[in-house]
Amino acid sequence: MFKAMLIKEFLLVSRDKHALAALFIMPAVFILIMSLALKDVFNEEKALIEYAVIDKDSSLESYAIISKLRANKMMNEHNISAPYGKPKEEGVQFIVVIPKGFKSQFTQSDANNTALQIEVAADIGQSHLMLFKTQILSAVMQTRLDAINLAQEMQHARSGKREAAQKIDFDEKKMMKIQYAALDEGEKPTSTQQSVPSWIVFGLFFVIIPMSTIFISERKQNTLMRLSTMNVSLPVLFGGKIIPYMLINQLQVWVMIAVGMFVVPLFGAAPLTIGGDILALVAISLALSLSAIGLSILIATVVDSVEQATTIGGIINILLGAIGGVMVPKFVMPEFMREFANVSPMSWGLEGFLDVFLRRGTLNDVMYEVGGLLVFGLVSLILAAIIFNYKIRRVA
Amino acid sequence: MVKIEHLTKRYGDKVALDDLTLEIKSGTIFGLLGPNGAGKTTLISILNGLTKFDEGRVEVFGLPLEKNLHEIRKRCALVPQTLAFYENLSVIENLRFFGGIQNIEKKVLEQNIDYAVETNRLSSMLHQKASTLSGGQKRRLNIAIGLLNDPDILFFDEPTVGIDPESRNEILETIVSFKAADKTVIYTSHYMPEIEKICDEVAIINAGKIIRQGTIESMLSNESADQLILEIYETPRERLSLEISSMERLSIVDESTLMLEGKDAQSVSAALELLESKKIKVRNIRYGTTTLESLFISLTSKGRADV
Repeated sequence: MFKAMLIKEFLLVSRDKHALAALFIMPAVFILIMSLALKDVFNEEKALIEYAVIDKDSSLESYAIISKLRANKMMNEHNISAPYGKPKEEGVQFIVVIPKGFKSQFTQSDANNTALQIEVAADIGQSHLMLFKTQILSAVMQTRLDAINLAQEMQHARSGKREAAQKIDFDEKKMMKIQYAALDEGEKPTSTQQSVPSWIVFGLFFVIIPMSTIFISERKQNTLMRLSTMNVSLPVLFGGKIIPYMLINQLQVWVMIAVGMFVVPLFGAAPLTIGGDILALVAISLALSLSAIGLSILIATVVDSVEQATTIGGIINILLGAIGGVMVPKFVMPEFMREFANVSPMSWGLEGFLDVFLRRGTLNDVMYEVGGLLVFGLVSLILAAIIFNYKIRRVA
Repeated sequence: MVKIEHLTKRYGDKVALDDLTLEIKSGTIFGLLGPNGAGKTTLISILNGLTKFDEGRVEVFGLPLEKNLHEIRKRCALVPQTLAFYENLSVIENLRFFGGIQNIEKKVLEQNIDYAVETNRLSSMLHQKASTLSGGQKRRLNIAIGLLNDPDILFFDEPTVGIDPESRNEILETIVSFKAADKTVIYTSHYMPEIEKICDEVAIINAGKIIRQGTIESMLSNESADQLILEIYETPRERLSLEISSMERLSIVDESTLMLEGKDAQSVSAALELLESKKIKVRNIRYGTTTLESLFISLTSKGRADV
């Protein structure tokens, strides 16, 4: 009897294409995406840090520092020139500005305004920043030590005696000034600020499951056919889905923001603050909502059962999240994965939210992402309408 | 009311409806019979504007269907075989939703809801979630939704599937009551006794063609049939079994109907003599088939054999 039960279960699972996809294909694709996305994190040969240097001092000392940074395989230098934009616009995580007069700090202990200025992209985490700062400090310290050693050697050659080494001031705050792009001086993005956008994007796309489930039930039960006979047109039908779910998505966004602002601080973490324009936030969340709803309706029209919708919807959601930088920050991905991330609408939504939460973006700053998401949503809806029409006529 | 002339519908190479001509009169209950794949659903879909046809002409209420679909739909309702409503809404929420979506004036809609609720005996369960209703109650709600626009034509697609005999009878009574309200009913079912019970006229459709059409009586009185129907005064079945056992070709249909296989004079005279000797009085003799079911099977199997 037990043998018969086992055989039955194996047969059922082996003939369920969607279960097999969820059990085997999804984890396999997930492993592939995550391995590729994190490839460089565990690869000592590959650069983890993308940076650019603006050398206003043009001294031997500044050149020595630049050379030391270049020799570091962990980092990849980009060539940019003044006038330069924000790190994100220049395609780097950090921009190091070596100010004019920098070399004076090697000779004068009281040199002012000669600290390195480091501009940091807003979505860079503290651990990543710490890593970069360590590399900079190391390069500066080595250069200064080299300069001291050289001075002592010259002294010795001239006078035959060595002077005691002068006290070297390695105060990090005097040596470099950190400035996050678009934030006020001294202001840092918090972990809440950096993580909330990801989960808003991920959460909004979970609308796929309830929406497609209801839509498929309506289709299977011929409720949609009945509505057609009641002169309900396709735009009304789709509109009747889009508007309520958009409102639900908006509610989701503001509930998640409220949790970040008011609940998270209760547990000791930094509260969420909305740095950018509220209008930009509304625009990006509405556009993201339309793309999630369009994708939901498309999935609901393509698949044939609620089980398929929940399985396929779940898989697509997770894969889009993995590709789009929700699970792994895009800045740690290799170049080709960063390019590939752009196929995921979650990536556009995430960038839009980061613009608002971290980069103090305005409506103008998120227009590119908003446009992309709206086009994605509309194309999905048009495809869904074509497939829906075809299917309803075939069933009839 | 519904006039179909030379209607043809093809799906690729397959002809779903083949030069079909049919007329359905106002105020009748019209049965549409046919085996699976005969073309019934295609015909109903065309009449409801869900499927376009390739050739022919369809008029509803004297209006060409294609050009007046919107207006025609306002006066028709389809009650699908599936329970096409929302299980998580209550009865009244479902009725208000399906009424509201049809842009019916609020006052008229309230009246129509009252009529639909009363006709389908749903008043005691208005605020109950549809998912908690019994099978028969769900079927009644499915019909009630079809009444919300006070239609002149109601299409029923197997409306009694999967329900108990009591609920089935209630639903059939409801459908018959629409005739009194001067509504036309177009009814498809595989359950022949239902069709016999409620339909005024029937069309049997097979392989996309109407192969027989008319009233039930005219269809069953077919002179070319091989059986002879003997209508007798009601006699208990036990007695009938005993009295006619000697004649193998004579069988009991029910307590007032006997059937004789073959129609040659010798057999007929032998049967009549036997019945007279047993004091079983014959009211009427006619050629034909005893039930719609046997006629349907003989016609559609012949059609299949021809194919």
